[in-house]
Amino acid sequence: MTDDTLKRWICLGCGFSYDEALGLPEHGLPPGTRWRDIADDWVCPDCGTPKARFEMIEIPYAEGQPRAA
Amino acid sequence: MRNSFVLHADERGYNKILSTGATASYVGGHPDAFITRFSSFNFGEYQDGRKGFGRIRVFGDEAFYHPGCSYSMHPHHNFIICAFVLEGRLTHINTLGGLEELGPGDYYAFSAGSGGLHEELNRSAEPMRAIYLWLLPDQLYLPPSYTRGHFDAAAGTNRITPLIGNDAGPVKISQDARVSRLVADGPGTFRYRPRSAGHGVYAFAIDGTLHCEGVTLKRRDSTGIWGAEEIVYETGRGDTDVLLVETIM
Ligand SMILES: [Zn+2]
Repeated sequence: MTDDTLKRWICLGCGFSYDEALGLPEHGLPPGTRWRDIADDWVCPDCGTPKARFEMIEIPYAEGQPRAA
Repeated sequence: MRNSFVLHADERGYNKILSTGATASYVGGHPDAFITRFSSFNFGEYQDGRKGFGRIRVFGDEAFYHPGCSYSMHPHHNFIICAFVLEGRLTHINTLGGLEELGPGDYYAFSAGSGGLHEELNRSAEPMRAIYLWLLPDQLYLPPSYTRGHFDAAAGTNRITPLIGNDAGPVKISQDARVSRLVADGPGTFRYRPRSAGHGVYAFAIDGTLHCEGVTLKRRDSTGIWGAEEIVYETGRGDTDVLLVETIM
């Protein structure tokens, strides 16, 4: 069975997070882009940490977050 | 079910980060300055050890050498970054407006939340030694916060003193975790009751000798125990100084 819910990932270098539901449109990743579909050589836009050093998380957003960019 | 691991001082990850060459933008204080870091857990691309413990992701035993030695101003989100100064003077600067000098016994918790930058600087010729602890938060993108505390070793001898927690201790954080300090001036028995069987405690011997679960920890050794109703720590002869981090697993 495949768990198809959209996931969140956090950069272990700086705490930046990637949310599959939101994507990163300003970095060419439209909303809904799956983590597995992001290139292996992709790095954290804030600190340069490689994709492999992100961890999947199930931490809820604080009230009022995520704020629209 | 009770579980544990033991990590000896020499089994930790080690990095010496220079203020020249490839890491010059990361570490300030040219040309002699450098940072040494012993990592109990993963730290970015620098170590391939244990991934973490509960909500702990970084436990760094670090030293900053030579005036100007620093982690230059850099951004964070979400992580709760705590520093406990052991020796020397640490200048901590953050984008919440903090510009603080901390000495031995001083500590802080900087919750990066929705975004913040910080710099960690040693302005003195004496080495600055500190423990850096990073915890995941229980919510993403909280308002950032910075709180400073002081551990008074004289008042806190032969007991377990709460430093940081979501419910206990003078510094509050948004995570099901507690940080305490155990300082003893001789042999003693100290009982720690985790909040639940779902919590674990990481004990790091800053100095001295600590006996726990039939294991003897010496300076900079550590042990993580989880699933225990009670954990008994016995301090050895002389002075012992231990940092205890309890976290939901
Ligand atoms: Zn990052």
